[in-house]
Amino acid sequence: MHGLRKRYGDVAVLHGVDLELPAAAVFGLVGLNGSGKTTTIECVLGLQGFQDGEVSVLGHGPAELFRLQGDVVAIFDSPSVPPHLTVRQCLEHARMLCPLPRRSCAEVERLLGIEGYTRFRIRQLSLGNRRRVSIAQALLGEPRLILLDEPFNGLDAGGVDQVLELIGELNRETGASFLLSSHQLPYLERVCSHVGILQEGRITAAGELRDLLADSGSRIVLHTTQSGLAQQLLENDSRVTDLEQLSSTHLKMRLREWQSEQLVAFLVENKVPVRELMQQSASLDNLFRELTAGGDA
Amino acid sequence: MSNLLAALRLELFLSRYSLAAKIVLLAPALVCLARFLLVWLNQAGQQARAGLIGADSFELAQTQNAYGHFVDGMNTGLTILALLLVALAAFDFSSERDTGSIRHVLIRRAGRGSIVLAKLLRLHILGLLSLSLLGLAAWGGCALFWDFGPVVEDGFELIGEDEILYEIHLGLLMAVIPLPAVIAFGMLVSVAAQSATQAVTLALGATLAMDIFKALLGERAWYLYATFHPSLLDQSYLREVSRLVRGFSDVLVQDSFFVFNEWVPAVSLLVFALAALFVARRRSL
Repeated sequence: MHGLRKRYGDVAVLHGVDLELPAAAVFGLVGLNGSGKTTTIECVLGLQGFQDGEVSVLGHGPAELFRLQGDVVAIFDSPSVPPHLTVRQCLEHARMLCPLPRRSCAEVERLLGIEGYTRFRIRQLSLGNRRRVSIAQALLGEPRLILLDEPFNGLDAGGVDQVLELIGELNRETGASFLLSSHQLPYLERVCSHVGILQEGRITAAGELRDLLADSGSRIVLHTTQSGLAQQLLENDSRVTDLEQLSSTHLKMRLREWQSEQLVAFLVENKVPVRELMQQSASLDNLFRELTAGGDA
Repeated sequence: MSNLLAALRLELFLSRYSLAAKIVLLAPALVCLARFLLVWLNQAGQQARAGLIGADSFELAQTQNAYGHFVDGMNTGLTILALLLVALAAFDFSSERDTGSIRHVLIRRAGRGSIVLAKLLRLHILGLLSLSLLGLAAWGGCALFWDFGPVVEDGFELIGEDEILYEIHLGLLMAVIPLPAVIAFGMLVSVAAQSATQAVTLALGATLAMDIFKALLGERAWYLYATFHPSLLDQSYLREVSRLVRGFSDVLVQDSFFVFNEWVPAVSLLVFALAALFVARRRSL
């Protein structure tokens, strides 16, 4: 997608979103509440119109995804399944959406652990099990692209593990690409190969997750009673970047071409007592907080 | 075309498990039969009373002719059918939009146009089945309670069976012609509304409002498709047929009424269906 712009009346929601989803990638789209994740997904799927920009999904425009005959499937934040049908009827209905079903209804029921609910109506199920049904619907065929909007909402820990395993397995076995939008950054970090960070309707960072984390690098937090002196010594040293005073006794920094032992030796040599040195490893959560200035994901 | 057929198959699959579809299918016939039973019980009481006081009249004799009851039964059933069809059509698209289930069909199987057309076709199929069932129930019910025959007064045949059947056929045809427009109106409201509750309320409210206004509009009501199908404030030709087949000779219907009856619903159907397609293509789902 290129230059995607979307307004609701006078309020601009997307300000020119550029995003490319590589083949066979598991792409995590993260952003604060109201940053435009769901709107982006809905525009990609042709569920909402947009004012400007280009969107192409497997060579088709958003309004023509149905021509791909099930190559693109989506799982929405609220389980979008007919409430009056039973689980089995719902899956049979979804099976009719696949020109070439890959799995039987019983198979996907077993896969998602809902085989005990076959005769239950959707409205009788818990939110988590309704979500399992909507995921099961998507797995009946052999999609090339699966879009999931908040797929972990309402799932228990076991359910999350199951879904993460399924995503990894499908990605490896069939080469299916995934676009996941979620607030659950640790879960995304476990499964995503690529990440895009959406902030106020713009992509502020996107790329392979390992590259982004490597660029972000690990941080060192120094605990000392002489933080002023330490700051004075380190702020002009080229081996230290992003120096930041967290409190009167704590400094945060990133080291360049320098090991933490060398930092300790340098500080002690210059009469700075070191009480503690903590290493904060790079994580999607840290990267996200850094890029969104400490916001809540 | 294949997308339309796929969407229609999905619609028919959903209908199999839909309580609303079953109600549309069965309710007109059941209401019609219930009407017959009540009328028959009432007549039995009246006949007993007439027998006791020795009264006998032309009207009482005509109550035994099944054709009049058949027309009344069909009229009642068609009134119910029209109201149910407009409600179901209004509920159809909007409820699937509320639950989000329409999104899967849109992404994986059929375009917006095909979905709307498939829903319209499914409602027509449902209407046709319901109408057939209503016809069978009305005919069977009448045969059970009364006798079919010509209108006779003092041994003289006022109206023969051929003429009665011709008028019934014409009356039913004229009453059925507006039903597709009823369905298309419900569908237009359904695609335009914000929720299923709003859609059903609006569609039923508008239908009842049309009923009230058509009584006040005089001949200008002929430009309203709702004038021509049986309704609570009935102005349809079928209402006149009910009197004709009972031997009343004061029925006077202008030829231009039939022309409007044929064309206004057809044009309304086209306008509503095209507007529904237009709105469905543009709105967020």
